[in-house]
Amino acid sequence: MRILIVEDEIRLADNIAAALRQGAGVAVDCAHDGKEGASLTEFGHYDLLLLDLMLPGLDGLSIVRRVRARGDATPILVLTARDERRHVVELLNAGADDYLTKPFDLGELIARVKALIRRGKGAAHPLLKVGRLTLNAVEQTVRCGGQLIDLSPTEYRILEYLMFRPRAIVSKRELLEHLYDYTWEHHSNVIEAHISNLRKRLRAMREEATVETLRGRGYRLEAPDSEL
Amino acid sequence: MRTHSLTGRLIVGVLLAELLCAVCFSVVATEHEMHGRQHAFDIMLRGRADSLLGAVQDADDAEANVTVDRNELDLPAEDIYVVLSPAGRLLGESNGAGTRALDELASAHRDGYFNVELDGVHYRALRTQGVRIIDRLENGGTRRPVTLIYGAPTSHLRHEAVEAARFYVISSVLLLAGTGILLAWLLRRWLAPLRELAQAASSVSVASWEFEPTENALRTRELEPIVYSIRQLLKGLREAFERQRRFTGDAAHELKTSLALLKSSLQLLTMKQRNADQYEDGLTGLTVDVQRMEELTERMLALARVEEEPSRLAEAIDLGKLVRLLARRLQPAADVKQVKIRLAGDDTYLVNMHATDAEILASNLVTNAVQYSPPEAEVIVSLGAPDGMIEMRVTDRGVGIPEAALPHIFERFYRTDASRSRTSGGTGLGLSICKAIVERSQGSIEVQSAAGRGTEVIVTLPKAVG
Repeated sequence: MRILIVEDEIRLADNIAAALRQGAGVAVDCAHDGKEGASLTEFGHYDLLLLDLMLPGLDGLSIVRRVRARGDATPILVLTARDERRHVVELLNAGADDYLTKPFDLGELIARVKALIRRGKGAAHPLLKVGRLTLNAVEQTVRCGGQLIDLSPTEYRILEYLMFRPRAIVSKRELLEHLYDYTWEHHSNVIEAHISNLRKRLRAMREEATVETLRGRGYRLEAPDSEL
Repeated sequence: MRTHSLTGRLIVGVLLAELLCAVCFSVVATEHEMHGRQHAFDIMLRGRADSLLGAVQDADDAEANVTVDRNELDLPAEDIYVVLSPAGRLLGESNGAGTRALDELASAHRDGYFNVELDGVHYRALRTQGVRIIDRLENGGTRRPVTLIYGAPTSHLRHEAVEAARFYVISSVLLLAGTGILLAWLLRRWLAPLRELAQAASSVSVASWEFEPTENALRTRELEPIVYSIRQLLKGLREAFERQRRFTGDAAHELKTSLALLKSSLQLLTMKQRNADQYEDGLTGLTVDVQRMEELTERMLALARVEEEPSRLAEAIDLGKLVRLLARRLQPAADVKQVKIRLAGDDTYLVNMHATDAEILASNLVTNAVQYSPPEAEVIVSLGAPDGMIEMRVTDRGVGIPEAALPHIFERFYRTDASRSRTSGGTGLGLSICKAIVERSQGSIEVQSAAGRGTEVIVTLPKAVG
C-alpha cells in the first residue's frame, strides 16, 4: 500500500511517515505544500491520502474537493487543528472519509490509516480470507490453515495487495506504484524476485493458492476451491 | 436610565401647539362675539330710551311728574329708568328695584353708556337728553329739556358670553382628541420603517452578518445616514472579527502542529527498542522542537502584548546606541553564515519607544536580513534623520521577496517560502510584530524588495523631543 502525506511541517511529516512505514507496513510519499500535494494525487498511485488542513499554496479542504471532483475515490484522512463542528461537517461533506485532531496519537493514526485502506478496498474486517489463507491486517500476519507463514515485509505487502483483489490481474507497474514510494530506486525485477520467493513460501506450506504470472499482463492470486 | 418615546413627544408637542391655538382662538372669538352682542345691546338700549322719551314728550306742566303706561310702551319689566329735570328734580321713574340708586348716579355720569351695579344686579345704562314740550295746545308750547337715564340688566348678555365660550372650549377639546388619535395612528404607520430597520439590525449576529433593511426603510430619506452608519459599522466589525478568528485559527494550528510534532517524535522514539545513539538523536530533535515551540509561544505573546496593551508612557531612547549594541551581540550568529553586519550613521537618534519594543524591532529586522543573506554578504543597518523623523534602513543582498508575496508579508503566520521550511526557524510572526510595534509608536514600516537582489526594510519613526 502507498500513502501520500501532505503536511507543511516537515519534521511532523517525517515522523508520521516513519511511524506508518514501521507500524502499517506501507510506502509513504511526502509533500510539503498544497499545490505539490494536489498534483501528486493526480497519478492515482495512492491507497490513502493524509492531508493537513492548513497548507501553504492550496489548503487541505480544496485538495479534498479537487480529488473528489475528479471522481477519485481514494480514502482521505485529514489532520486538523480545529475540531469545531462546523469545520468538521464541511470537511466530511466535501468528501473526506475521516479526520484526526492535532495533537494526535500515532497509534490511533496508524489504526485509522489501516482501517481506511481496508475499507477503500471493500473489506471492512481486518481478516482477509482467500482459500486457506487468512491475512490479519492488524497484526500484519498471514496464516495458512492456522499456521503462521514467515514472510518478509515486502512479501507481506505484495500478498496483502493481491489478497484485496483476488483473481484480478494486477500489473507489475501497479504493484510497483502501490508498494514503493519515490525514495526507492525500483527495478521491475525486484518485484519478480519477491513474487518468486512468495510462491516458494506458499508451496512450502502446501498451500493451493498461488500467484500466477500472466506474461506481459501481470500477476493474479489464484485459489482453486475458494468460494469467492 | 429613563426612556422617552419620540411618538409620545411628537403627539404631545402637536397637541400643545393645537391647544395654544384653540385657547387663543376661543378668547379672540369670544371677545369678538361679546363685542358684537354689546353693540346690539346698546342699540336696543337707545331704542328703548327713545321710545320712553317719546312717551314723556308732552306735558301740561313743566313740573308735572312723568307717568308712563307700561302696557302702552311695552318695555321689559326688569328695565329701570329715571327722568330728571335740568334742575335735577325727579320727574318720573320706573318702579323696579334699584331705581332709587339710579337717581343718585345721574350727576356722576355724562351722557352716553355706562355700566353700573345696583343692588347686586349688573346694568348697562344710557344717559341721554330729551325735550319736553309743555302746553303744546297753547301758543305752540314751551320746550324744556329733560335728562333720561335708562338701564337694562346685562345678566342674559353674560349668560350668552359663557355659552359662547363653552361652545368654543368643547369644540376645541373634541378637535384635540381627534388630532391625538389621528396623529397616533399616522405616526404608527409612518414610523414603521424605523421599526423595520431596528429589526433588520437586530437580526445581525456573529453567525450571520447579513444586514438587509426592508425596501420601506431604504426609501426613507431620514434613515439613510443610519443605514449607512450601520453598514459601515458592520463592515468594520466583520473585518475585525474575521481577522481575529483567522488569527485564533492560525495560532491554534501552529501550536497544535508543534504539539503534534512533539508527541509524534516521542511516540516514534518509544515505538520500538532503540540503541543509545538513536535515543540521543531523538532527544536532540525533541530539544529543537521544544525550542521552536518556545519561540512560537514567545512571539505570539509578544504580538498579543504589543497589540492589546495600551501604549505605555514611552521613554526617549537612543536608537543609534541600541543598534550598535545589537550589532555586536548578533555578529557571532552572523559569523556562522559568514555575514557581516555593517552600521551607517554614528550619531544619537532619539525616538519615543519602550526599550523592549525597540530591541524586538531592531533584532527581528537584522536577524531576518542575516538569515536571508548569502555567505560573504553584508547586512547594512543605516540610521538617518530626514525631515524631522528618524529613519532606520535594514538592507540585505539576499534572495529577496517575490512580488506576489510583498502585499502579504506583514500578515500573521505568512511565510514567503511556500514549503514553509521550518528548518529556517521562521514563525511567520516576526514582521507582524515589527509592524505592530512601529504603528504603536506612530511610525511606519515599508519593505522594498526585488527577487534575487535583496530586500530593504525602511522604518520611519517620529523624533523624540528632548
